[in-house]
Amino acid sequence: MSSALPTRTSKTPAEGGDGRARTGAPPPGSARPGSVARRRARAGWFFASPALLVVAAVTVFPVLFSLVLSFCEVRLDYGGLRLGSPTLGHYEALLTHPEWYRALAFTLGFTVVSVFAELVLGTLVALVLERLGAARGWILALLLLPWALINVIAAQLWSYLFNGTYGAVGWLCEQLFGTQPDILGEPVPAMAAMVVVDVWKTTPFVAIVVLAGLMLIPGDVYEAAEIDGAGPWTTFWKVTLPQLRPIVAIAVLFRILQAFGIFDLPFVLTQGGPGTATQSVAILGYRILFQNLDFGGGAAVAVTTAVIVMGCCLLFLRVFRAHVDEEGRA
Amino acid sequence: MSLRRRTLLTGALGAAAAGLLTGCGGKDLDDLLTRAAAVPRGPARLTWWVSEIPSRRGGIVADLIIKAFERRHPRISVSKINALSTSDGNRSAIATQLAGGSPQPDVYLGDTTWPAQFGDSSLALPVERLLPDGFWDAYPAALRTGSTHGGQVYAVPFFTDSAYLFYRKDLLAKHGLRLPRSWEELLHTSRTVQRAGDVEAGFLWQAAVTESLTANVTEFLADAGAAVLDGRGRAALGGAAAERAFSLMAEFTGSGVTPGTVATYEESDSQDAFTGGRGLFLRNWSYAWVNASAPGVSHVAGRIGAVPRPGFEGTGRSGVSCAGGWSNFVNPSSQALGAAMEFARFCAGEEVQRLLAREAGVVPAMTSVLTGPEARAAGDPTVLRAADLRLVARPVTPYYPQVSKALYTPANAVVRGDLSPADGVREAREGLRTALEGKAL
Amino acid sequence: MSRHIPRTGVRRYVNVVNLGGLLIAGCATLPLVWMASASFKGPGEISATPPSLLPEDPTLGNYETAFVRNGIGHYFLNSVVVACVSTVLILSLAFFAGYALARLPLRGRGAVMTALLMLSVFPPIALLVPLFLMERQAGLLNSYPGLIVPYVALNLPFAIWIMRNYLSGIPGELEEAAVVDGAGPLRTAVTVILPLARPGLFTAGVFAFTATWSEFLLALTFNGSDDRRTVSVGIALFTSQYQVPYGVIFAGAMVATVPIAVLVLVFRRSVVSGMTTGAVKG
Repeated sequence: MSSALPTRTSKTPAEGGDGRARTGAPPPGSARPGSVARRRARAGWFFASPALLVVAAVTVFPVLFSLVLSFCEVRLDYGGLRLGSPTLGHYEALLTHPEWYRALAFTLGFTVVSVFAELVLGTLVALVLERLGAARGWILALLLLPWALINVIAAQLWSYLFNGTYGAVGWLCEQLFGTQPDILGEPVPAMAAMVVVDVWKTTPFVAIVVLAGLMLIPGDVYEAAEIDGAGPWTTFWKVTLPQLRPIVAIAVLFRILQAFGIFDLPFVLTQGGPGTATQSVAILGYRILFQNLDFGGGAAVAVTTAVIVMGCCLLFLRVFRAHVDEEGRA
Repeated sequence: MSLRRRTLLTGALGAAAAGLLTGCGGKDLDDLLTRAAAVPRGPARLTWWVSEIPSRRGGIVADLIIKAFERRHPRISVSKINALSTSDGNRSAIATQLAGGSPQPDVYLGDTTWPAQFGDSSLALPVERLLPDGFWDAYPAALRTGSTHGGQVYAVPFFTDSAYLFYRKDLLAKHGLRLPRSWEELLHTSRTVQRAGDVEAGFLWQAAVTESLTANVTEFLADAGAAVLDGRGRAALGGAAAERAFSLMAEFTGSGVTPGTVATYEESDSQDAFTGGRGLFLRNWSYAWVNASAPGVSHVAGRIGAVPRPGFEGTGRSGVSCAGGWSNFVNPSSQALGAAMEFARFCAGEEVQRLLAREAGVVPAMTSVLTGPEARAAGDPTVLRAADLRLVARPVTPYYPQVSKALYTPANAVVRGDLSPADGVREAREGLRTALEGKAL
Repeated sequence: MSRHIPRTGVRRYVNVVNLGGLLIAGCATLPLVWMASASFKGPGEISATPPSLLPEDPTLGNYETAFVRNGIGHYFLNSVVVACVSTVLILSLAFFAGYALARLPLRGRGAVMTALLMLSVFPPIALLVPLFLMERQAGLLNSYPGLIVPYVALNLPFAIWIMRNYLSGIPGELEEAAVVDGAGPLRTAVTVILPLARPGLFTAGVFAFTATWSEFLLALTFNGSDDRRTVSVGIALFTSQYQVPYGVIFAGAMVATVPIAVLVLVFRRSVVSGMTTGAVKG
């Protein structure tokens, strides 16, 4: 609990800020609480601003630009992109088109299933890793490999393994079940394949984050549980899991963001097919932007996606607010 | 109050955006064309965005072409930018750069289905006025049709891809079977050879949800005599002929002559299966000949033949092929329009066309070269028989990607057996109508 | 290294745990083994059925193609430069920002954190065109900074979140002692906090490095010219519409993956402690 001290106590004087009374820099070494807090407050922005400026410089304009594009008629002519009169047409076209809802449903389904699977598997893996002795280093290092694999390569590797003619997965299925399923050629297996690849590639991420969380749980908590006579199962549900929640919340949040933007996998594995079964929102946006060259429509996809994800995140943060705030200090 | 502030903000942003967008100032088409008409006398540098051109003898074809050009124009240097060969990745990269007004690449190689859309979006320079009189007489008419949109031509011919039926000579001979003259006969022949256990698949083609399937659908529809668009460019798909084409696609997979995985096949996958000895027949583009005949790559080298595609029984129509291929486009934002245009013209000219016949595994666009000494020396049936083909152009419309999607999505479902042929045709027509109105996603 | 007191029942689970470990290692690596093996297969064998686990007739032809014809070595160097510089920049910016957000009295901290999150919500494909316009104006296309700048900006939010969370877990006594000693915030941050922050930096660094190392779309669009291409784009160029050269793709993939794998395996001890150390909680 002591760790919460600096942030919590120093907040009040800073916010009370006797800004007008600031007459000069306090002499170095001065330990007067007010001036130290003031100095620290100024240092705060001084420290944070380079990073924030870089982020803002690169992302704010493109985001606003997309917003403007999505509400305008956009035309390309020999001078480049031209903005025409304002319109809601892009949103209207999108919201009245069944394909958008299908893409959204696939993306949501994919996100929920894969993030859930990764969370469960990642926690299991982390629990195993935590208990491993000397082998932990090796296995953790091996786990890092799929995750560090370049996305495009991972997608190519799996498209090779899933290949309908000579893929190893199909061959294995034939040996095990006697039939060779057409994995990428049928909607449900193709969706399942996406989840499998995503789980293979990103469970290590969740596992590592959870493992770091496990290591932060103080041993005395377990001792207390032991004294209370709790078995391993009860200990996990009543002690480990609640302690893990804040860190897991962060991991899940960022996984949701990533999974919702899924692009590389369907792009390489199925091109969104069969039919439009694995067409994610990002693939749809990409198609509208770069195949149809409809920059307004593409921007509308991006904005609607961002609004939806933002809504989910805010909801998520609200539910987990306490945990997120307490993250690391619990 | 807050509303006015928002309007102001939007306005300011819009102005800032517009300022950034039109960094090069409003450009006048006439001005561009004037600049493009003059071949520079002084030094100039060009960049050429070019994807891999299949090579016959191991040389890098693009480099040979550049060398030939620089010999003719010693003051112009050309450097090549390797484009992705996958049409989709290629398109996104080039479209981003062009829409961003990038002066590079000066010349880019693009698919024959791009001109209408790229022209409509001002991503390609209209070149008709910059080509000599009678220029088009030397090239197939379908190429010109496909490159024309709104009375303007947006692409300069380079090479064509045509669809052929590749087959295993050895297996047909073993069973004493003749080359099928119709799809019905092909189904029968395939089943005979498949039953004997000599081959896994009878007929390999492409039915993944990409442009590949659109090309196949277009050909099957033309085989059956069905039109996609009417004379005025409206959706005309329907009727018994269209259903016959869709039924054939369903029958291929339904009867097991084509494996179900064809629904995930693009050209490369079907070619790999064929060169791996898994198929009796293959529909593929002309370039497959070189790969399928290369002993190191192909298991079936020396045991294959290629002929124009068959047709339906009783229609008297065969040898249909989509007019495919790649043409050179000129970037309107190029700083060296004259040199760029000269390079595009050079690639269409006889010297390069003959070089293609000699070095590359593609069909040169220039008709006279198809029967010239280089082509005869190479002896590829895909080049020598190119004149016998009945070329059909895919729909020419600025909404081409949406039109293509309207065809391949239901066709893919028909191939997988998820949709009946009749429903497939109906869905395709509905999709086409929406797409042509520009309302499809 | 580990400060864990053995827990009840651990012994009993030793076998299950070890089995689990094996299973995890197997699942993680089997596809990669397959890739490694396929990279040594010739064009015929790579598409053979039944698939063979080990190449029957191993060949280096794919590697030759990847290196000689496709210059994978050069792409690899580009990737190393871009990913390393980006990671270093991300870490230095994120450390200070994370420190400020975690421990300094910053007004509007919540708003900043939320804004960072919001910016990372926006789909990257939508940023492509405006970013391209900006880079063209700034003359950054086909240069290392042209990729490094957007990589830093796009990966900073997550790194800041990690650093903030990590740093708010560090006990305050040391910092307070430094303040009492009269150390300014900068000195406190560098001399007191930075050494303690190493595990957090390590985690954030691994995340940043993997993200920048594998990025594809921006690299393809902004650094299209041959001499500035990164590995992910270079490998994508191997695919052609004419055939799927899986062998060459995997050879290139091996070139891109093996150095990282070797690094990770050799330094696995520091990797483990770096990524999971909880010792700072004391």
